[in-house]
Amino acid sequence: MQIRTLLAIGAGLAMLSIASFANAVKPEDNQATREKGKQIYEQACLFCHGAEGKGDGPAGWFIGRYESPRPRDFAGGSYKFRSTPSGELPTDQDLFRTVTQGIPSNMPPFSGLSEEERWQVIAYVKTFNQAFKGAKPTALVLPNPPGPPSDAGIENGRKTYIKYGCQNCHGDNGYGDGKEALDGNLKDTYGLMISPGDLTERASLKNGSSAQALYRSIMTGLDGTPMPSYADTIGGNDKDVWDLVYYILTLSQEKP
Amino acid sequence: MCAGAVLGTAWPVKRVPDYSIGKVPTVFTRVSIFIVALSILCGTLVTFLLAPEEAQAIPAFARKYNTNCMDCHTAPPVLNAFGQRFLENGYQLPGTEDGGITGKKKLGDLNLDDVNQYLGFRLVGNVTSSWNFKQQNPPGADAGVVENKTEFTFPQNFVLFAGGTVAKNVGFFVELGHEVDEGGAEVERGFVTFNNLGYRNLAHLRVGKFDPSAFYSYVTVRQQLNNIGDSQTSCSGTYVPCSYNRVGLAPSAFATKFYGLYDRSGNYLSPFTSSLYNSDGETGVDIHGRPFGDWFLYQVGVLNGANEHLGDSNKGKDVYGMIRFDYARSNYFSASLSGFIYQGNSNAKVQTQEDVNWNRYGLSARATYMMVDVYAAYSVDKINNTPTSVAGLFDSTATGLTIGADTYVTSKTLVSLRYDNLDAGGMLDQRVSSSFIGVQAKHFLRANVAILARSDFNLRQSEDGDTAARNLRNAFFSGIDVIF
Repeated sequence: MQIRTLLAIGAGLAMLSIASFANAVKPEDNQATREKGKQIYEQACLFCHGAEGKGDGPAGWFIGRYESPRPRDFAGGSYKFRSTPSGELPTDQDLFRTVTQGIPSNMPPFSGLSEEERWQVIAYVKTFNQAFKGAKPTALVLPNPPGPPSDAGIENGRKTYIKYGCQNCHGDNGYGDGKEALDGNLKDTYGLMISPGDLTERASLKNGSSAQALYRSIMTGLDGTPMPSYADTIGGNDKDVWDLVYYILTLSQEKP
Repeated sequence: MCAGAVLGTAWPVKRVPDYSIGKVPTVFTRVSIFIVALSILCGTLVTFLLAPEEAQAIPAFARKYNTNCMDCHTAPPVLNAFGQRFLENGYQLPGTEDGGITGKKKLGDLNLDDVNQYLGFRLVGNVTSSWNFKQQNPPGADAGVVENKTEFTFPQNFVLFAGGTVAKNVGFFVELGHEVDEGGAEVERGFVTFNNLGYRNLAHLRVGKFDPSAFYSYVTVRQQLNNIGDSQTSCSGTYVPCSYNRVGLAPSAFATKFYGLYDRSGNYLSPFTSSLYNSDGETGVDIHGRPFGDWFLYQVGVLNGANEHLGDSNKGKDVYGMIRFDYARSNYFSASLSGFIYQGNSNAKVQTQEDVNWNRYGLSARATYMMVDVYAAYSVDKINNTPTSVAGLFDSTATGLTIGADTYVTSKTLVSLRYDNLDAGGMLDQRVSSSFIGVQAKHFLRANVAILARSDFNLRQSEDGDTAARNLRNAFFSGIDVIF
């Protein structure tokens, strides 16, 4: 590993670790807010997610066609992009992040809506699922990275990658061409074929490609997909997780 | 731009060729055409399939938003409900005014990635075109050769387009097209949009050269079966009818429909060229919006006339209005119904060089459910001031009907079907109606790379003698469509 590369990762990591979405001042979640949210939803979101939030909007079928993904079913489906433990609802901040950033290759970022409008639409989206009523989803605590990556740490990350069977789906080199993927065994909860993330293409990682975002994906999993949470297995060993994160980041390094 | 045709007999200037010397196609020729076309198709397919699959290959707008072509398209270039609203909003995401964020950058801040987000290219055309005529066409032109013809024709069309936003609620689009056969390049469309005037979705303004039918249920410039131009045997001089070797294959509802109309320079107007409201590009001003919610769209516009390159005398402006009703809620279903009136003003001439007012009235409907997209358009063209000099010789009414359907049979294969019926108007001794049905299979090797095979069949080939509209039995094409 070139020291230059390590420095680049370290610098990027430092920047990414401090970059977070400001918890913008949220309007109170009341009827008026939800009404405004509904108006925005019907202009911006309905075409994919459908009038009742079931992910069956008039344009929703074409994104994956006969394969995954389809637009999120807010009403009954699980939520992929969370900072909460697997099986739980996302926090408002998780929803805000997804609306703002979009989902690479699938959903455009709606940062063109004002922050207030985004919070309003989130308040409305939550009305589709009764489970949000009174729920207070709590994010997992994501620790700060222990420091810049090292050669030894990255090597440990590679071993961790193999130990936990990441290559079965993501492939030996992270191209998303693991045996399970090639054999067509990977399906989402709707029974649609789904492709594992190509770890060599950071821009395509749907839950974010920063070190913290990767850490979060490993710990929370992507509910509704074959990507499980590793919180109960590797979760007790922060160093291994961070080494794994660093290793994954090296997979997408520019080739000399 | 091709001019036109005469399929009749009485007009004194040009004679229609005598098609009586026919030959029956040999089995050998048919097999040859099939083998050549199939070889090219297979070669192309193998080449692309052996190449490594890329993770993502997306054109300009998808690059800009780092998203999927299929967010906006049912199958490029046809838009789905979301893509339609994106277009209406001046290349801003529906419900937003994000041009303020994704728009203009300072020159020093620009990099190649930014430029990439504004530019797109499309290279499209049939690699081979095979024609099968009832008789040698024109007869005797190529002694000893049977009636089947196969040509290598790729590339036919190369398009460079740039579009996006320059600021909040200010968008632009420029499309530079190069027809390889005809040479040169032309600004097919080029316009600026000013959006969300008054309040959100009340009014969006387009200024420049644009496709008037952009918001119609069935859009002229978004076809799965690309237009195949007509072929003329002779077409020279002003106010001189042209003879056709072969009719054009284009949506009849959008076509000129009349035989015996001329532009202001005296060039014969092809009955198969898209025109008026359904023109590929006209210069003027246009306003559209959804002031009462998503269910209703209005559009009004003023144009120089019947497409400048077709030639309007420009004594008066042409005006049009369109309304559209939408249902797009859930269950992967959407539907729309549209109607328009286009009022022409001295926008064409007849043989005597007199101006006529050429109008069009149209209806269109579209329904999309999951993998199936069905659409239709019907239009009536009327000339309401037929000069007395051609009275009794000129049918002032013509109609066109186009019905189409696309469906994905696999995740990457789209099958399309289109029926066209042209009940032609114009000079009675020239006009010939025609009906075609076309079927196409298009396989997307990537989101932006497709190969296709298509066949068009003439449904009226046995009627009314051997005119150019009848003589064509069927046509087979294999092609490539690349957008990057």
